Amino acid sequence: MRTKHKILLFTLPWIVYLLVFWLYPISYSLYLSFTDFKLLQGSGDFIGFTNYSNLLSDPVFLTSLKNTFYFVFGTIPVTTVLALIFALLIAEKIPGHKIFQAAYFIPSITAMVVIALIFYNLYSRGGYLFSLCQIAGLSPPENGFLQSEKTALLSIMAMDVWVAIGYYVLIFLAGIKSIPIELYEAARGDGAGFFRRSASITIPLLKSTFAFVIVLNTIRSFQIFVEIFVMTSGRPFNSTLTAVFFIFERGISRGSIGYASAAAYILFIILLTFSLLQFKLINVRKSA
Amino acid sequence: MKKALMLWMVPAFLSIVLFIMIFPMIYMILLSFQEPGSFSLSLRNFGLTLKNYAVVFKSNNFGTYFFNSAFVALAVTAGNIVFCAMVGYGLSRGNIRITWPIFLSAVAMLMVPVHVLILPIFQMMLKFGWFDTYLALIVPWLVAPLGVFLMKQYIDGLPTDLEDAARVDGAGEISIFFKIVLPLCKPALAVLSVQIFLTTWNSFLFPKILTNSSKMYTLPVGLALMQDPRSSDWPVSMAGSTVAALPVIIFFLIFQKRITEGITAGALKQ
Repeated sequence: MRTKHKILLFTLPWIVYLLVFWLYPISYSLYLSFTDFKLLQGSGDFIGFTNYSNLLSDPVFLTSLKNTFYFVFGTIPVTTVLALIFALLIAEKIPGHKIFQAAYFIPSITAMVVIALIFYNLYSRGGYLFSLCQIAGLSPPENGFLQSEKTALLSIMAMDVWVAIGYYVLIFLAGIKSIPIELYEAARGDGAGFFRRSASITIPLLKSTFAFVIVLNTIRSFQIFVEIFVMTSGRPFNSTLTAVFFIFERGISRGSIGYASAAAYILFIILLTFSLLQFKLINVRKSA
Repeated sequence: MKKALMLWMVPAFLSIVLFIMIFPMIYMILLSFQEPGSFSLSLRNFGLTLKNYAVVFKSNNFGTYFFNSAFVALAVTAGNIVFCAMVGYGLSRGNIRITWPIFLSAVAMLMVPVHVLILPIFQMMLKFGWFDTYLALIVPWLVAPLGVFLMKQYIDGLPTDLEDAARVDGAGEISIFFKIVLPLCKPALAVLSVQIFLTTWNSFLFPKILTNSSKMYTLPVGLALMQDPRSSDWPVSMAGSTVAALPVIIFFLIFQKRITEGITAGALKQ
């Protein structure tokens, strides 16, 4: 019994980190959100919910939320469906399946800054994707995809789908691997082809993998930042301004720490609601 | 008909996707060898020059950035190896009524979006006087909740006989941990270290916020701030990108199995 208590000391590093680098900042930030803390002054007064009510009528913040939602709901369905299709095909153990799996994953291990720079070039006027559109007879925006209000956010979303797919292919593949092989053998015996097997065995049994993929991707997509920083800084006309970029811009660049903390908390609450809702929906379906 | 579909149509389709997935990386590498000032690749004046790499290392401090990235990533990885294994061991072998809530706290922190931490951590680092030093880039990241989670799960599956035998022989708890438990954790630690190393090497948001002098930049920060992409010298920019990305890609191709294992291990156990 004594050793069981002594062993608890081994958990100290996490307890210290939990307190100092997680719980303290999370609550400190909540406190800051109720103050008019300015970076330059290094102090601020308690102002109650003023930041929150100002934010909810700040058109720039609302635009950043709108763009973030657009980004999240625009990319996740596409990424999920494509990743599932690729995973189903790769799982058929066709020649070279290992190579496909590895190659699709390469964007996921590459620094986002690097990817954003490459795509900045490809999307620019005269860049490869720009020229490709011209060859296809479409007329790309005159100054490049990232310079037009209509296409900038969409272009970044397309890039995000490209980046994220490999990771989710991998997770779907792991899910498929955990399905008992006997099920497939029975189906093959009954003469079920790829589409039948996928529709009646694989996809229904991947429910919890789906849940995981969607929740994970939601949390990630709501926090999109690096590509905005490198590619557009929110331009043109705030059309690519996302919520985390807003927090960064107001809090760090302009030093309105209090105001930006309130924005961070609003985003936190939205995200929490979404994650809980998604978990709920999934659990309801599971028990049904 | 069905056979033909699986035999060549599916591989053909997946190959086209493969080309789309790796083309930007090939483009990056090839563009980094073109004459300075080129905007994109063209067959007419295809070049093979190392000039851009010279620019990147001589006038852009990439040597320093590379060192900072490597040093920070290695330090963070080393810290996580020791601390997460310790915590995992404590959580796995301690009294469950106490360890369970601690374990749950780690799982809960996995779900906390990091954007809530941006401003308070920035503010804390200023107050500690750690801003723009290695301390800010390393110390807050030494015990990752993901690592605590993975190591606890792994150590749960290890037998306790060896530990008990050592205890009967009068070995101290610390030496039991370092001499018996830690070596047994090697497979899980390999997975964890790859994961932590990659995340730290590629990370941009916190290194950007917590530094403001070029001698402290890591590769992603130096790369993003090197020049305005609107007016940039693309081959130089791509040479810098290649320096940041290629080592990781090669590393991945070598340790592919470990890396993918780590990702799916973290994914499936939830």
